[in-house]
Amino acid sequence: MWYWSLKSLFAEPLRLISGSLGVACAFLLVMVFQAVFEGESRQIVAYIQNTDADVWVMQDGVENMHMASSLLWNWKAPRIARIAGVTEVASILYMNTVMSAGGKRWFSYIVGVDENAFTGGAWEMTAGEAWPQQGEAIVPDVVAILSGLSIGDTVQVLDAELRIVGLSRGTFSMANSVTFINKKDLSRLMDAGEAVSYILVKGSDGISAQDLAARIKTGVDKVSALPKQQFIHRDREMALQMGSEIIRIMITIGTLLAVLIAGFTVYYQVIHKQRELALAKALGFRHRHIYAGVFLQAAAINALGYGLAVAGAYTLMPMIPLVAPQISLYVSVESLVRLGVIGILVTTLVVFVLARNVTRVDPVTVFQR
Amino acid sequence: MSEPILRAIGLSKQFGTAAALVRAVDDVSLEAAPGELVLIMGPSGSGKTTLLSMLGALMKPDAGRIFIEDVEVSALREGQLPRLRANKIGFVFQSFNLLAALTVEENVLFPARLVAGGVKAAGARAEQLLERLELTGRRRALPRTLSGGEKQRVAIARALVNRPTIIFADEPTGNLDSRMGQEVMMILRSVARDQGCTVVMVTHDSRSEEAADRILWLEDGKLRDRKTDTHVWRRDPVCGMRVDEWTAVEKSRYRGRDYVFCSHECLSRFEASPAAYVLATGQE
Repeated sequence: MWYWSLKSLFAEPLRLISGSLGVACAFLLVMVFQAVFEGESRQIVAYIQNTDADVWVMQDGVENMHMASSLLWNWKAPRIARIAGVTEVASILYMNTVMSAGGKRWFSYIVGVDENAFTGGAWEMTAGEAWPQQGEAIVPDVVAILSGLSIGDTVQVLDAELRIVGLSRGTFSMANSVTFINKKDLSRLMDAGEAVSYILVKGSDGISAQDLAARIKTGVDKVSALPKQQFIHRDREMALQMGSEIIRIMITIGTLLAVLIAGFTVYYQVIHKQRELALAKALGFRHRHIYAGVFLQAAAINALGYGLAVAGAYTLMPMIPLVAPQISLYVSVESLVRLGVIGILVTTLVVFVLARNVTRVDPVTVFQR
Repeated sequence: MSEPILRAIGLSKQFGTAAALVRAVDDVSLEAAPGELVLIMGPSGSGKTTLLSMLGALMKPDAGRIFIEDVEVSALREGQLPRLRANKIGFVFQSFNLLAALTVEENVLFPARLVAGGVKAAGARAEQLLERLELTGRRRALPRTLSGGEKQRVAIARALVNRPTIIFADEPTGNLDSRMGQEVMMILRSVARDQGCTVVMVTHDSRSEEAADRILWLEDGKLRDRKTDTHVWRRDPVCGMRVDEWTAVEKSRYRGRDYVFCSHECLSRFEASPAAYVLATGQE
C-alpha cells in the first residue's frame, strides 16, 4: 500500500505540485508572520541587548523599560560605582513619546545620554556622529528614509527642535524606535532636575551579573537592580503582552489555512482514488493498510509543501526589508522546526478526520461499470 | 461431482424498506466444484452482481450461509474477511480495475503483498502468469497504454497470483470486442480446467455459454431453470457473431427492425453508422 500510495501520488505531478504549493503558501504565510513576530520581539529589546552593561539599575518597583517610567537620584550612580566589583557606571534619562520627523509622527524611545558615557548610545551608525551634543539628535536610519530626512534636517521632540547629526542602524522597530539626544536636553524637557532613569553598570571579570545586582540592591536604598538578561526577558514579556495578540491571531489563521489546504488535498486524493481504495479492500487489504497509504500521501504533500515554504522563506524574506524597511524579520531554526512539527500534527489530524471516509469506502463499488 | 469448493444455502439480500423494498437475491442456493466454470446469467437487474458480491465475501447476506472450502464465510467477522479474500478468492471485473499508477507487473504483484512470502515469493509465479498470458513484453507498461484485452489479461493474472481456490468474474468480456472476449473466455476456461480453480462468472454474453460447464439463470433474484428451447439465434450486424436474442442485452431498432449485438462496443459502432452495417450484411 505504501508503494502504491507514493507511486499514485507521483503519477499525477500536477495534482501533487498544486497540493504542495497550496500547503507551501499557507506555511510561508505562517513563516512570514512568525518572522515578523520574532523580528519585532528581538527589535523591542535591541537597545538593552546592545548596551554594554551587566546590570541595569532603576527605580524600586520598576522591572522593565518598554512603556515604563523610572526616576532615581543621580547621586546613586557614584555610590554604585564604589561597590566592590563595579568597574563602570553610566546613567541615562529615558521617556516614551511621539517624535515628529518629516511631517510624520513616530512613537519613540527618547534616550538622553552623556557624551562621555562608556555605553548607552547608538551601537552602530549608518552615517554621522554617534554621540549627540546639546541641540542634536541621532535618529534611526529607517525613520530618516521613511521621512525623507538626512543629516542636517531637524526633528521635534516635545517642544524642542533638534538637528539630526547621526543616523543609527538597528534602532528601528514598529513598536519602539530609539532616538538619542543629549541628557541635558532631555533633563530640561522632562524637568527632571537631578534625576536619571536608569543606571547602567559594568562589572569586573569574575563576578556574575546576578551577584553584582544583589550587591547593588543591598548597598543602595530604594533601587531595583536586574542582570541584563533578566531585564531583557522582563521587557520582552511586557512588550509582547501589549502587541503580540494580532500577530498570534494571524499565525493561527495561517496555520488553520495550512490545515485546510492539506486536508482538502488529501481528502480530494481519497475521493479521487475511491475506486482504487475499494479495489484494495476487495483484494484483501485492511483498513490499517489504507490509513497508512493515506497518511503517507498526506505526509508527502506536507513535507514537500514545508520544504518549498522553507526555500521560499529563505529566498523571499531578505527581499522584504528592501521594499518595507520598517519591518524587522527574523527566521529562527526553532520556529521552522516548530512549523515542521505542526505539519506532522496537521497530517495526523487530516488522516484522523479522513479515517471515516476510508472506512466508508465500500469494496462492492469495484463492480460499478 | 467432487466435494464442492463453493456452497451457498438459502442466500437472500434485500434493499430498501416498505414500498421501496427490493428483493435483490431471494433464497438462492448453489454449488460449484473444483475446476468448474459456472455461468450466472440473467437479465439486467436480476441480482447477479449482488449474488456475486455475497459469494465473494464483499457483502453480507441478510439470510443464508456461504461456504468456501468448508469455511463458513457468512459467519466470519468483518476483520477476518480480508485474509480470506487475499488467500482464497480472485476477482476479475468488467472495468478491469487496474491501479493506474502501477505497471503491469506491479499490478499483478499487488495482492501478493498480502500473503506469506510477499512480493519476493510471488515473483516467479507472476513471471509465469505474464508469460502464459502473453504480457511479458508489456510488463513495464502502464494500464493507460494497454488495449482492453491486455487490461483484462492483467486483471486475470492479478486474480491468479495468490493461487486462489475460486475466481469470481463479473462480466469479464463486457468491455471487449468479440475476438478479445472469446480470448478471455478461453483463458478462464483454461484456468478452471488446467489449474482446478473454480470460476464463477456473471455475464450477459451468450457467447460465453460455449465455454461454461454449467449455466444458472437468475431472474428477479431467484435461480430458475432456463428452457432449452429459448434460444433465438441472430447475427450481430457488426461483427457477425451469433447472439441469442432471448438473452441479448445490447439491442437497437433501425428502420422498424430490431437488431441484437454481442457487446456494447458493437452496438456503439452500429449506432454511429447503422446504414453501413445493414447494407454490408444485407439484413435490410
